[in-house]
Amino acid sequence: MQHDDRQWRLTGLSAGLWCIVVGIGMIVFWLAEPAELAARHPEIFGMKFNAALAFTALGAAFLLALSGHRVLPVIASLAVLAYGVVALSQHVFGIDLGIDQVLYKPFTDIGTSLPGRIAPNTALCFILISLAVIRRALRGSSDLVQMAGSYAAVAIAATALIGYLIDFDAAHDWIANTRMSVQSATCFLALGVGILFVGARTAGYHRLAIAASLGVATYLILLTLAYLKVSEQAKRLPFAIDRAGISSTAATLLDLILLSGLIYAGLLAYSYWSSRRYSRSATNLSESQERLSAIINTAVDGILTVSADGTILSANPACQRIFGHAPEDVVGKPIRMLLPGPPGDSAQAARAGCIVASGETDAQRKDGRIVPVELSVAKVELTEGTVHTAIIRDISERKHFERQLLAANAELEEFAYRTSHDLRSPIASSIGLLNISRELLENGDHDALSGTLERMERNFTRLDHLIQNIIVLTRDRLMEEEDRRFSPYDVVQNQADTLSTLEEDGRIRIANHIPPQLTIFSKPSKFDVIVGNLLSNAIKYHDPREADPRVDVYLEEHAGTIRLVVEDNGLGVPEEKRPLLFRMFKRLHPSRSFGSGLGLYILKKSAESLGGSVTFEAREKGSRFIVELPNGDGHEAEYHTGGR
Amino acid sequence: MKLNTILVVDDDENDQFICEYTIRKFDPAITILKAQDGTEALAILETETPDAIILDINMPIMNGFEFLEHYARAFSNHAPVVAMLTSSQLGTDRERALRYPFVKSYLEKPLTIEHLRQMQELLEA
Repeated sequence: MQHDDRQWRLTGLSAGLWCIVVGIGMIVFWLAEPAELAARHPEIFGMKFNAALAFTALGAAFLLALSGHRVLPVIASLAVLAYGVVALSQHVFGIDLGIDQVLYKPFTDIGTSLPGRIAPNTALCFILISLAVIRRALRGSSDLVQMAGSYAAVAIAATALIGYLIDFDAAHDWIANTRMSVQSATCFLALGVGILFVGARTAGYHRLAIAASLGVATYLILLTLAYLKVSEQAKRLPFAIDRAGISSTAATLLDLILLSGLIYAGLLAYSYWSSRRYSRSATNLSESQERLSAIINTAVDGILTVSADGTILSANPACQRIFGHAPEDVVGKPIRMLLPGPPGDSAQAARAGCIVASGETDAQRKDGRIVPVELSVAKVELTEGTVHTAIIRDISERKHFERQLLAANAELEEFAYRTSHDLRSPIASSIGLLNISRELLENGDHDALSGTLERMERNFTRLDHLIQNIIVLTRDRLMEEEDRRFSPYDVVQNQADTLSTLEEDGRIRIANHIPPQLTIFSKPSKFDVIVGNLLSNAIKYHDPREADPRVDVYLEEHAGTIRLVVEDNGLGVPEEKRPLLFRMFKRLHPSRSFGSGLGLYILKKSAESLGGSVTFEAREKGSRFIVELPNGDGHEAEYHTGGR
Repeated sequence: MKLNTILVVDDDENDQFICEYTIRKFDPAITILKAQDGTEALAILETETPDAIILDINMPIMNGFEFLEHYARAFSNHAPVVAMLTSSQLGTDRERALRYPFVKSYLEKPLTIEHLRQMQELLEA
C-alpha cells in the first residue's frame, strides 16, 4: 500500500510537472518569435499560445489538487474549462468569438486556416481533464467521473499520438487544418494517466484492465477514423468503378472494425469482470487475513510457527510476555532457545510426525528464568513444506496454586493424622488407668487408687488443653476479622497477667517494653493468639535452674512493618531440632512434654494469616522469637492471595 | 522360652505406669527396663538384650521409627519380639513398622494382659 502510494504520487507529480514544463516552454517559444525556426520546423508551433497557458494552469492545478488544496486548483481549472468550452463551441457552431488571438497574435500561422485556434479534440480534452481536476480538488479523492473523463482524454490523446507515429493525419485532424499537437497529446496523456492511476487504486479497478481497455479504445478510434477517411475519399472519387473498389475496401474495413470491436469488447468485458473478481477476492483474502492475524495477535497464548528443522518462522505478541523476547528477535532462531526441554524439540516432533497433544515443559525466558508452560504442537502440511505450530500457555500461576493446594492438603492430612493420634492417646491411656483403678478399688488399695485417679485427671487436662488448642487453630483459620487500631502494650500486659497466675512459683519475670501509647492497625484477636503463644512458650520452657528467669517483649514499627520480639533466657532449642520448630505436634523437650505440640504451629499460622512471618533466633542462653507483621491495610492483599 | 526381660519405650509417663502395672500383674518376675525415647532405648540395648521390646511411635528426640532404623542397622542381635504399642491404628504406620523382620506385632494402647500373652506365644513359637 505504501509502496503504491509513493508510486502514484510520483506519477501524478511527473504528469503535472510535464504539463508545466511543456506549457512554459511553449510560451517562451511563442514570445521569442524565432521566425527562421518556425519556417523550418512549423510543427514545433503546433501547440497554440492559449493552449500553452492552459496546460501550465492545468498542470499547476493538478499538482495543487494532489497536495490537498481546494480553492486554487478549482479556480485555475475553471478558467481552463471555460476556455475549452468556448473553443469547442467555436468549432461546433462555426462561429468566432475572438478568443483565439486575444492574448497573443501569432507571428506565424504554420499553415493553419485559423491561427491561434486550438483543435476541437484539444478543446474537448481540456474540458474533460479540467472537470476531472475540479472534481478531484473538491472531493479530495478519486471517483468514477474523474476516471471516465480522464479515460476519454487519454484515448483521444493516444489516438492523436499514434496518428503522428503512423503518419495518419485523420487521427489528430478532426477538422481540416487544425490538429492536436504532439506536445498537447503528451500533456493530456500524462494528466489522464496520472488521474487514472490514482483513481484505479481507490476505485478498486485493476490497472492492467484499464490499460488494456485504453489500448482497445484507441485502436477502435483509429480504425473508425480510418473508415471515415476512406469513405470520404470514396465519395470524392469521380468514377463509379473506382468508388465501387474503394467502397468494398471500406466495407471490409467496417466489418473489420465491427468484428474486432466485438472481440475486443468481449475480451474487455472479461478482463474487467476478472479484475473485479480478483480485486474482490483480494479484498476478501486480506480481510480474512486481518481477522486471522487479529486473533493471533490478541491471543493470550503464545503462538509460534516452526519449520521442520526447528527454526522459528513467526511469533505472536503473547510470546513476548511468556519468553521476554520481542517476536522479531526470535524469528530465525532455533526453537530450542525458547523451549529447551524434550517436548519442545520441534525436530523431534517432526520426526514423530504426530501431534503432541499437550504436554508440560519448561520455557527459557530472556532473563534466564524458567517458567512452566503447557505446549501443544501440531504439524501443518503446506504447499511450501511442513511447518509446526506451537501453542504455548504460561502455567506458572496454575502450578503455583497447584503447589499451594498440595501443601495445604498435605498439611491438613498431617493435621488429621496427628490429631487422631494425639486425641486418642490420652483416652487410651485413661482406659488403661480406669481398668487399673477398678482393680485397685476391688482390692481396697485406696492410696494407689488415688494416684491413678490423679494420673487420669492429668490425662484429661492434657486432652482438654489439646482440644482448646485445636479450637483456637480452627477459629483462627475460619474467623474473619476486621482490622482495628489497638494497643499492643495492653495485649501483652493482659496475657502476662493471665499467664502469671497459671505459673507455678511466680519466679518468671515478664518485662513489657512496648511503649504504652503506641497503637497498631491489625487484627486484635489474632495478635492476641500470637502473644499468648509466645509468652506461654517462654514460660513453659524456662530454665528452672536459672537464677532470674525472665521474658522480654519488645515491639517496634518501621516502614509499615510491626516487629514483635519475645526473648527469654530459658532452655532454648537444640540446634538439630530447630528445623522442626514450627511443625505441628512437635514437642522438643522430652522432660517437659506437657504441651499439645501445637503452640508454635498456631503461632506460625496466625502470623501467616496476618500476612506476616515468624522466625527463631538462638540466644547465648535462651530463645528469641521475632514476629513481623504488616501494619495497616498492606496485609489485606497479602491475606487474600495468601492461600486460603 | 519365658518372658524374662521387657524394655518399654514410651515418653508418656502414664503409659509407662500402665505398662509396668500390667506386666507386674502378668508376671511379677519379669524385669522391666524403661526408656523415654529412642536414644535412651538404644543406650540400654548396648548392654542388655531383652526378650521383648514394647515400642511407642510418637516420642520426642527419637521416635519409634527412627529407633527401628537405628536398631536394624546398628545391632546384629535383636530382641526376639518387638511389639509396637500405639494409640492409633494407622495403616501406613503399621505397614512401615512390620517391614522390619524383628517387629512381630502391632498393638493398640492401652497394654493388656492379652497383649502380653500374645507376646509370650510369639516368643515360644
